[in-house]
Amino acid sequence: MSGNGRVYEVFARKKRADRFEHVGAVSAPNEQLARVYAWQTYDEAKWFEMTVAPRDAFAAVNRPQAPFTLGDSVGRASGNSR
Amino acid sequence: MTESGFRSAEDLPEEASGHLANLILALADNKRLLGIRYSDWILGAPSVEAGIACSAMAQDEWGHARILYAMLRDFGHDPSALEHERASNEYHSSELLDRDVASWEEFLALNFLWDTALSVQFEMLVESRYEPIHYKVRKLLEEERFHFDHGQGWTSRLLSAEGGRTALAEAFGAAWNACLRGFGPDDDPLSGTLAMHGIVRRDAAGARARWLERVGPVAAETGLARDTESAWISTREPVWEDRWLARRRAAKGGPDEDSLARARGDRNRELLMD
Repeated sequence: MSGNGRVYEVFARKKRADRFEHVGAVSAPNEQLARVYAWQTYDEAKWFEMTVAPRDAFAAVNRPQAPFTLGDSVGRASGNSR
Repeated sequence: MTESGFRSAEDLPEEASGHLANLILALADNKRLLGIRYSDWILGAPSVEAGIACSAMAQDEWGHARILYAMLRDFGHDPSALEHERASNEYHSSELLDRDVASWEEFLALNFLWDTALSVQFEMLVESRYEPIHYKVRKLLEEERFHFDHGQGWTSRLLSAEGGRTALAEAFGAAWNACLRGFGPDDDPLSGTLAMHGIVRRDAAGARARWLERVGPVAAETGLARDTESAWISTREPVWEDRWLARRRAAKGGPDEDSLARARGDRNRELLMD
Protein backbone atom coordinates (compact mmCIF):
# COMPACT_ATOMS: atom_id res chain seq x y z
CA MET A 1 0.00 0.00 0.00
CA SER A 2 2.99 2.31 0.42
CA GLY A 3 2.90 3.22 -3.28
CA ASN A 4 -0.70 4.39 -3.16
CA GLY A 5 -0.74 5.89 0.32
CA ARG A 6 -3.64 5.34 2.72
CA VAL A 7 -7.08 3.82 2.46
CA TYR A 8 -9.91 6.34 2.89
CA GLU A 9 -13.49 5.32 3.65
CA VAL A 10 -16.15 7.14 1.66
CA PHE A 11 -19.55 8.21 3.03
CA ALA A 12 -22.31 10.01 1.20
CA ARG A 13 -25.97 11.02 1.37
CA LYS A 14 -28.43 11.95 -1.34
CA LYS A 15 -30.52 14.42 0.63
CA ARG A 16 -29.91 16.70 3.56
CA ALA A 17 -32.46 14.69 5.54
CA ASP A 18 -30.69 11.36 4.83
CA ARG A 19 -28.10 9.73 7.03
CA PHE A 20 -24.66 9.19 5.57
CA GLU A 21 -24.18 5.75 4.08
CA HIS A 22 -20.87 4.01 3.65
CA VAL A 23 -20.42 3.76 -0.12
CA GLY A 24 -16.89 2.36 -0.42
CA ALA A 25 -13.20 3.11 -0.11
CA VAL A 26 -10.33 4.51 -2.16
CA SER A 27 -6.54 4.39 -1.87
CA ALA A 28 -4.85 7.74 -2.24
CA PRO A 29 -1.47 9.38 -1.53
CA ASN A 30 -3.12 12.29 0.29
CA GLU A 31 -6.46 13.68 1.39
CA GLN A 32 -6.83 16.00 -1.61
CA LEU A 33 -6.58 13.06 -4.02
CA ALA A 34 -8.80 10.93 -1.78
CA ARG A 35 -11.56 13.54 -2.20
CA VAL A 36 -11.14 13.59 -5.98
CA TYR A 37 -11.02 9.79 -6.27
CA ALA A 38 -14.05 9.34 -4.03
CA TRP A 39 -16.15 11.83 -5.98
CA GLN A 40 -15.21 10.39 -9.36
CA THR A 41 -15.34 6.71 -8.40
CA TYR A 42 -18.63 6.66 -6.48
CA ASP A 43 -20.63 8.75 -8.91
CA GLU A 44 -23.64 6.41 -9.11
CA ALA A 45 -25.89 9.00 -7.46
CA LYS A 46 -26.24 12.76 -7.49
CA TRP A 47 -24.92 13.13 -3.96
CA PHE A 48 -25.95 16.03 -1.79
CA GLU A 49 -22.89 15.52 0.38
CA MET A 50 -19.86 13.24 0.41
CA THR A 51 -17.06 12.91 2.93
CA VAL A 52 -13.89 10.82 3.32
CA ALA A 53 -11.83 9.78 6.33
CA PRO A 54 -8.69 7.66 6.64
CA ARG A 55 -9.58 4.08 7.55
CA ASP A 56 -7.04 4.12 10.37
CA ALA A 57 -8.86 7.05 11.99
CA PHE A 58 -11.70 4.70 12.97
CA ALA A 59 -11.56 2.85 16.27
CA ALA A 60 -12.98 -0.65 16.68
CA VAL A 61 -15.68 -0.84 19.33
CA ASN A 62 -16.72 -4.47 19.80
CA ARG A 63 -14.31 -6.43 17.59
CA PRO A 64 -10.58 -6.85 17.88
CA GLN A 65 -10.10 -6.37 14.12
CA ALA A 66 -9.64 -2.96 12.55
CA PRO A 67 -12.92 -1.48 11.28
CA PHE A 68 -13.92 -2.02 7.62
CA THR A 69 -11.63 -5.03 7.26
CA LEU A 70 -14.11 -7.83 7.97
CA GLY A 71 -14.78 -9.53 4.66
CA ASP A 72 -14.13 -6.31 2.84
CA SER A 73 -11.35 -5.36 0.52
CA VAL A 74 -10.03 -2.05 -0.66
CA GLY A 75 -12.12 -0.53 -3.38
CA ARG A 76 -15.83 -0.74 -3.84
CA ALA A 77 -17.43 -1.92 -0.60
CA SER A 78 -18.52 -5.54 -0.86
CA GLY A 79 -22.07 -5.30 0.34
CA ASN A 80 -23.48 -2.64 2.52
CA SER A 81 -21.94 -1.83 5.85
CA ARG A 82 -25.27 -1.40 7.59
CA MET B 1 -22.49 45.62 -13.59
CA THR B 2 -25.31 47.91 -14.55
CA GLU B 3 -25.32 47.37 -18.32
CA SER B 4 -27.88 44.97 -19.70
CA GLY B 5 -26.94 41.58 -21.06
CA PHE B 6 -26.63 40.31 -24.62
CA ARG B 7 -29.19 37.56 -25.21
CA SER B 8 -27.70 36.35 -28.47
CA ALA B 9 -24.73 36.92 -30.75
CA GLU B 10 -26.89 39.24 -32.82
CA ASP B 11 -27.05 41.71 -29.95
CA LEU B 12 -23.25 41.84 -29.53
CA PRO B 13 -21.30 44.91 -30.66
CA GLU B 14 -19.90 44.12 -34.07
CA GLU B 15 -16.28 44.50 -32.99
CA ALA B 16 -16.79 41.97 -30.18
CA SER B 17 -18.74 39.24 -31.94
CA GLY B 18 -15.88 37.76 -33.98
CA HIS B 19 -13.52 37.91 -31.02
CA LEU B 20 -15.96 36.06 -28.78
CA ALA B 21 -16.57 33.36 -31.41
CA ASN B 22 -12.79 32.99 -31.70
CA LEU B 23 -12.42 32.62 -27.94
CA ILE B 24 -15.22 30.04 -27.71
CA LEU B 25 -13.69 28.03 -30.56
CA ALA B 26 -10.26 28.12 -28.89
CA LEU B 27 -11.77 26.93 -25.59
CA ALA B 28 -13.74 24.19 -27.38
CA ASP B 29 -10.71 22.91 -29.30
CA ASN B 30 -8.57 22.92 -26.16
CA LYS B 31 -11.16 20.94 -24.27
CA ARG B 32 -11.64 18.43 -27.08
CA LEU B 33 -7.88 17.81 -27.30
CA LEU B 34 -7.34 17.85 -23.53
CA GLY B 35 -10.05 15.20 -23.21
CA ILE B 36 -8.04 13.00 -25.56
CA ARG B 37 -4.90 13.50 -23.48
CA TYR B 38 -6.80 12.58 -20.31
CA SER B 39 -8.21 9.49 -21.98
CA ASP B 40 -4.69 8.38 -22.97
CA TRP B 41 -3.93 7.75 -19.27
CA ILE B 42 -7.06 5.85 -18.22
CA LEU B 43 -5.08 2.61 -18.42
CA GLY B 44 -1.59 3.92 -17.72
CA ALA B 45 -2.14 6.01 -14.60
CA PRO B 46 -0.24 5.22 -11.38
CA SER B 47 -3.27 3.61 -9.73
CA VAL B 48 -6.75 2.34 -10.58
CA GLU B 49 -8.19 5.36 -8.78
CA ALA B 50 -6.07 7.76 -10.85
CA GLY B 51 -7.20 5.95 -14.02
CA ILE B 52 -10.84 6.43 -13.03
CA ALA B 53 -10.09 10.10 -12.39
CA CYS B 54 -8.58 10.40 -15.90
CA SER B 55 -11.68 8.78 -17.36
CA ALA B 56 -13.99 11.16 -15.47
CA MET B 57 -11.92 14.20 -16.46
CA ALA B 58 -11.91 13.07 -20.11
CA GLN B 59 -15.71 12.83 -20.03
CA ASP B 60 -15.97 16.27 -18.46
CA GLU B 61 -13.75 17.84 -21.13
CA TRP B 62 -15.59 16.24 -24.02
CA GLY B 63 -18.89 17.34 -22.53
CA HIS B 64 -17.62 20.90 -22.20
CA ALA B 65 -16.30 20.87 -25.77
CA ARG B 66 -19.68 19.66 -27.03
CA ILE B 67 -21.50 22.51 -25.32
CA LEU B 68 -19.03 25.08 -26.63
CA TYR B 69 -19.10 23.90 -30.26
CA ALA B 70 -22.91 23.93 -30.13
CA MET B 71 -22.80 27.49 -28.84
CA LEU B 72 -21.09 28.64 -32.02
CA ARG B 73 -24.31 28.08 -33.93
CA ASP B 74 -25.46 31.39 -32.48
CA PHE B 75 -22.57 33.03 -34.36
CA GLY B 76 -23.58 31.56 -37.71
CA HIS B 77 -21.14 28.62 -37.63
CA ASP B 78 -22.01 24.99 -38.31
CA PRO B 79 -20.98 23.08 -35.16
CA SER B 80 -20.86 19.75 -36.99
CA ALA B 81 -18.43 21.11 -39.58
CA LEU B 82 -16.30 22.58 -36.81
CA GLU B 83 -16.21 19.29 -34.96
CA HIS B 84 -15.65 16.92 -37.86
CA GLU B 85 -14.29 18.68 -40.91
CA ARG B 86 -11.41 20.97 -40.09
CA ALA B 87 -7.76 20.46 -41.00
CA SER B 88 -5.06 20.40 -38.34
CA ASN B 89 -3.90 23.95 -39.07
CA GLU B 90 -7.43 25.25 -38.43
CA TYR B 91 -7.42 24.15 -34.78
CA HIS B 92 -7.10 26.77 -32.07
CA SER B 93 -5.86 24.38 -29.36
CA SER B 94 -2.58 24.91 -27.53
CA GLU B 95 0.58 23.41 -28.97
CA LEU B 96 0.83 21.58 -25.63
CA LEU B 97 -1.95 19.28 -26.85
CA ASP B 98 -0.64 18.55 -30.36
CA ARG B 99 0.67 15.09 -29.48
CA ASP B 100 0.47 12.56 -26.67
CA VAL B 101 2.63 13.13 -23.64
CA ALA B 102 5.40 10.74 -22.66
CA SER B 103 5.24 10.78 -18.87
CA TRP B 104 2.96 11.25 -15.88
CA GLU B 105 4.85 14.47 -15.07
CA GLU B 106 4.08 15.90 -18.53
CA PHE B 107 0.49 14.79 -18.04
CA LEU B 108 0.41 16.76 -14.77
CA ALA B 109 1.69 19.87 -16.56
CA LEU B 110 -1.43 19.64 -18.75
CA ASN B 111 -3.71 18.72 -15.84
CA PHE B 112 -2.49 21.33 -13.38
CA LEU B 113 -1.07 24.18 -15.46
CA TRP B 114 -3.01 24.17 -18.72
CA ASP B 115 -6.39 22.91 -17.50
CA THR B 116 -6.25 25.62 -14.82
CA ALA B 117 -5.38 28.21 -17.49
CA LEU B 118 -8.54 27.17 -19.33
CA SER B 119 -10.61 27.33 -16.14
CA VAL B 120 -9.35 30.84 -15.46
CA GLN B 121 -10.59 31.86 -18.90
CA PHE B 122 -14.01 30.46 -17.95
CA GLU B 123 -13.87 32.30 -14.61
CA MET B 124 -13.60 35.45 -16.68
CA LEU B 125 -16.97 34.52 -18.25
CA VAL B 126 -18.91 33.86 -15.02
CA GLU B 127 -20.65 37.23 -15.12
CA SER B 128 -20.38 37.74 -18.86
CA ARG B 129 -22.88 40.08 -20.48
CA TYR B 130 -23.18 37.42 -23.20
CA GLU B 131 -25.88 35.48 -21.35
CA PRO B 132 -25.89 32.18 -23.29
CA ILE B 133 -22.39 31.44 -22.02
CA HIS B 134 -22.60 32.61 -18.46
CA TYR B 135 -25.50 30.25 -17.80
CA LYS B 136 -23.20 27.32 -18.65
CA VAL B 137 -20.03 28.36 -16.91
CA ARG B 138 -20.84 27.72 -13.25
CA LYS B 139 -21.54 24.01 -13.68
CA LEU B 140 -18.43 23.62 -15.79
CA LEU B 141 -16.28 25.30 -13.14
CA GLU B 142 -17.76 23.06 -10.43
CA GLU B 143 -16.49 20.04 -12.35
CA GLU B 144 -13.16 21.69 -12.96
CA ARG B 145 -12.58 22.09 -9.22
CA PHE B 146 -11.85 18.38 -9.10
CA HIS B 147 -9.44 18.63 -12.03
CA PHE B 148 -7.52 21.30 -10.14
CA ASP B 149 -7.49 19.19 -6.97
CA HIS B 150 -6.30 16.18 -8.96
CA GLY B 151 -3.45 18.18 -10.49
CA GLN B 152 -2.50 19.79 -7.20
CA GLY B 153 -2.83 16.57 -5.20
CA TRP B 154 -0.52 14.71 -7.57
CA THR B 155 1.89 17.59 -7.84
CA SER B 156 2.33 17.79 -4.08
CA ARG B 157 2.79 14.02 -3.97
CA LEU B 158 5.64 14.23 -6.52
CA LEU B 159 7.19 17.29 -4.89
CA SER B 160 7.59 15.29 -1.69
CA ALA B 161 10.18 13.00 -3.34
CA GLU B 162 13.52 14.09 -4.79
CA GLY B 163 13.24 12.24 -8.13
CA GLY B 164 9.66 13.34 -8.60
CA ARG B 165 10.54 16.97 -7.96
CA THR B 166 13.23 17.01 -10.68
CA ALA B 167 11.02 15.34 -13.30
CA LEU B 168 8.11 17.60 -12.44
CA ALA B 169 10.24 20.75 -12.65
CA GLU B 170 11.40 19.69 -16.09
CA ALA B 171 7.87 18.98 -17.36
CA PHE B 172 6.44 22.20 -15.88
CA GLY B 173 9.35 24.19 -17.32
CA ALA B 174 8.68 22.79 -20.80
CA ALA B 175 4.98 23.73 -20.66
CA TRP B 176 5.34 27.10 -18.91
CA ASN B 177 5.84 29.40 -21.89
CA ALA B 178 2.87 28.01 -23.81
CA CYS B 179 0.70 28.53 -20.71
CA LEU B 180 1.87 32.13 -20.17
CA ARG B 181 1.17 33.18 -23.72
CA GLY B 182 -2.04 31.17 -23.89
CA PHE B 183 -3.83 34.20 -22.45
CA GLY B 184 -2.51 36.51 -25.17
CA PRO B 185 -0.13 39.47 -24.94
CA ASP B 186 -0.88 42.31 -22.52
CA ASP B 187 -2.25 44.42 -25.39
CA ASP B 188 -4.27 41.52 -26.84
CA PRO B 189 -7.07 43.08 -28.91
CA LEU B 190 -9.29 40.02 -28.45
CA SER B 191 -9.55 40.01 -24.66
CA GLY B 192 -9.10 43.79 -24.51
CA THR B 193 -12.21 44.34 -26.63
CA LEU B 194 -14.19 41.67 -24.80
CA ALA B 195 -13.24 43.12 -21.41
CA MET B 196 -14.23 46.61 -22.54
CA HIS B 197 -17.74 45.37 -23.32
CA GLY B 198 -18.12 43.37 -20.10
CA ILE B 199 -18.08 40.05 -21.96
CA VAL B 200 -14.99 38.87 -20.06
CA ARG B 201 -14.15 40.22 -16.62
CA ARG B 202 -10.47 40.94 -17.22
CA ASP B 203 -8.15 41.36 -20.19
CA ALA B 204 -5.20 39.07 -21.05
CA ALA B 205 -2.87 40.55 -18.43
CA GLY B 206 -5.57 40.28 -15.77
CA ALA B 207 -6.39 36.68 -16.63
CA ARG B 208 -2.71 35.71 -16.64
CA ALA B 209 -2.30 37.33 -13.21
CA ARG B 210 -5.27 35.32 -11.91
CA TRP B 211 -3.73 32.12 -13.29
CA LEU B 212 -0.41 32.89 -11.59
CA GLU B 213 -2.31 33.46 -8.34
CA ARG B 214 -3.81 29.96 -8.63
CA VAL B 215 -0.79 27.95 -9.81
CA GLY B 216 1.93 30.17 -8.30
CA PRO B 217 2.24 28.52 -4.88
CA VAL B 218 2.94 25.15 -6.56
CA ALA B 219 4.95 26.54 -9.49
CA ALA B 220 7.19 28.34 -7.00
CA GLU B 221 8.38 24.92 -5.83
CA THR B 222 9.79 24.39 -9.32
CA GLY B 223 11.28 27.90 -9.59
CA LEU B 224 8.79 29.14 -12.19
CA ALA B 225 6.89 31.64 -10.05
CA ARG B 226 7.46 33.77 -7.00
CA ASP B 227 5.41 35.75 -4.54
CA THR B 228 5.93 39.51 -4.39
CA GLU B 229 4.13 41.69 -1.89
CA SER B 230 1.34 42.46 -4.31
CA ALA B 231 1.06 39.41 -6.57
CA TRP B 232 2.39 36.09 -7.83
CA ILE B 233 4.66 36.64 -10.82
CA SER B 234 6.37 34.41 -13.37
CA THR B 235 10.15 34.22 -13.09
CA ARG B 236 10.27 33.97 -16.89
CA GLU B 237 9.02 36.41 -19.50
CA PRO B 238 6.81 34.83 -22.16
CA VAL B 239 8.50 34.31 -25.51
CA TRP B 240 6.25 35.15 -28.48
CA GLU B 241 6.15 33.87 -32.02
CA ASP B 242 5.13 35.91 -35.03
CA ARG B 243 1.51 35.54 -36.00
CA TRP B 244 0.70 34.08 -32.59
CA LEU B 245 -2.65 35.79 -32.43
CA ALA B 246 -4.41 34.31 -35.41
CA ARG B 247 -5.11 30.95 -33.76
CA ARG B 248 -4.20 31.75 -30.15
CA ARG B 249 -1.36 29.20 -30.26
CA ALA B 250 2.10 28.75 -31.76
CA ALA B 251 1.72 29.80 -35.37
CA LYS B 252 2.97 26.59 -36.92
CA GLY B 253 1.31 23.19 -36.92
CA GLY B 254 -1.67 21.75 -35.12
CA PRO B 255 -2.74 18.42 -33.62
CA ASP B 256 -0.78 15.50 -35.10
CA GLU B 257 -2.43 12.99 -37.42
CA ASP B 258 -3.56 10.58 -34.72
CA SER B 259 -4.89 13.34 -32.44
CA LEU B 260 -6.71 14.98 -35.32
CA ALA B 261 -8.36 11.71 -36.38
CA ARG B 262 -9.56 11.17 -32.81
CA ALA B 263 -10.71 14.77 -32.31
CA ARG B 264 -12.76 14.64 -35.52
CA GLY B 265 -14.04 11.09 -35.09
CA ASP B 266 -12.58 9.98 -38.43
CA ARG B 267 -12.77 6.25 -37.73
CA ASN B 268 -16.54 6.25 -37.57
CA ARG B 269 -17.10 9.05 -40.00
CA GLU B 270 -19.62 7.09 -42.07
CA LEU B 271 -21.78 6.63 -38.96
CA LEU B 272 -22.10 10.35 -38.28
CA MET B 273 -25.68 11.52 -38.16
CA ASP B 274 -26.96 14.92 -39.10
